[in-house]
Amino acid sequence: MTLLSKTITAFGSLLLAHACYSAREHTALQSLRAATTATLTSSPATAASLPVDIIIETIVSTFILLLGLVLGTRPLRPLEWRVWAGKIEREGEEGFTDNAGAVDKDFMGNPFSVLESRPNFVDIRKQRREFAEWVQKGGAQQGQ
Amino acid sequence: MAPSILHPPVQLSPAAALALSQQAPAILRSSPSTVSSSPLNTLLSGSEKPEQWLQYENLILSCLRTGDDQAAHACLRRLVARFGNDNERVQALRGLVKEAEAPDNGALENVLKEYNQILGENDANIPIAKRRIALLRSMGRLSDAASALVQLLDFSPTDAEAWSELSDIYLSQGLYPQAIYAIEEVLVLAPNAWNVCSPTIAPDLSPMLMQRPSQIHARLGELQYMAASAPGAANGSSQKYLAEAIKRFSRSIELCDDYLRGYYGLKLVSKKLLNDGVKAAKQTDDSEFVLPDTHTIERLNELATAKLSEIVRHSAANDRGWRGYSEAEIAAARELLADDASAIKR
Repeated sequence: MTLLSKTITAFGSLLLAHACYSAREHTALQSLRAATTATLTSSPATAASLPVDIIIETIVSTFILLLGLVLGTRPLRPLEWRVWAGKIEREGEEGFTDNAGAVDKDFMGNPFSVLESRPNFVDIRKQRREFAEWVQKGGAQQGQ
Repeated sequence: MAPSILHPPVQLSPAAALALSQQAPAILRSSPSTVSSSPLNTLLSGSEKPEQWLQYENLILSCLRTGDDQAAHACLRRLVARFGNDNERVQALRGLVKEAEAPDNGALENVLKEYNQILGENDANIPIAKRRIALLRSMGRLSDAASALVQLLDFSPTDAEAWSELSDIYLSQGLYPQAIYAIEEVLVLAPNAWNVCSPTIAPDLSPMLMQRPSQIHARLGELQYMAASAPGAANGSSQKYLAEAIKRFSRSIELCDDYLRGYYGLKLVSKKLLNDGVKAAKQTDDSEFVLPDTHTIERLNELATAKLSEIVRHSAANDRGWRGYSEAEIAAARELLADDASAIKR
């Protein structure tokens, strides 16, 4: 997905740059021609507008660029509370990754889990005991 | 994927805690050992990040748990060097390290005396007050812990964590009405917390999912015991509790789609109600929540069964987007469903 959106964006900007360059060249040519005709005939040249192909190229390239940028944005977050909460419960970390697959920095799981884990009241001795028991049961080998 | 070091590591499994504490040397090496807070140094070395200090705190917790006391001391030294000895959080962390290393009860008593001394100098030192309560509870002095906690809540009544701890202490003493009252206070402070809604009336339904599946039946027995031995007329009040439980579980599902614990509890309660036979509630007090009729309860039961089996099926297949549930919870749900199925066969 990222590669696709990057390619499209690059292509769009290339087209846009090309359109700008063509427009600039066109106006330069126009003014040069106007200057030469003015000296020859001294009649005011009609202000010529840009040719249609340059206009079309500009518009199309803008849309391609937009498409690439839109494809490259990260997925939108749910708006409703219950959908958002359900996403946290159902998908865990996976639901909150950006396009590159890294977990968002501000993802914190269930923000209310603190009410159940209560880190300020942690019973560290019990945790140590339980961990020691787990190691004795050979959990360290299983965990790896 | 290793769990993030920026979240409190209290509820992690032993394996995850081990993985975290094994990161400790690398983290300690990669960050500077002393950070000066003088403006000149801040200009030269870039600003310090608050995450770094959070990392140290959480590392201390998981290192102490896995017995890596050296790394815990190293982290603590850095926190002391940055925030000084008198910082309340640092004091609490130092106490935590001492508690963890205390070899016997005498040493614990000494730690407790230190806490009392600190509180004597400044009795609004909330981190130390919380440590003291946790230590009292850890030493088995539950009623002391409860009264200390009530004192703490007297001058800091908006502390949801403390209310929740109070409820847990009451629950471990078997004081269900008090536990329910305390958890309702939490609900007042955090009305959108979907995990708090469910334990409200059946306080022991939710923690049981934290335990091993085998312990669930013991917990369930406790619940039934609680409902049956509630003060007053046995049948009427137990019905009241169950009605309240249905309401709470439904609320937690309303707050959170596909909430496994909510559906689990809903299924347990509705099953019990259906088995016992529902009596149509006659009292029409507007304040009381009356039990819905049998048909509604049956539909709730069906809904919970359908949802639970969907969740279990998806996580058994390890589908994408369904991997957030913990394995113990899934196993418990599967057991409940299997129980149900065997009952139908019979």
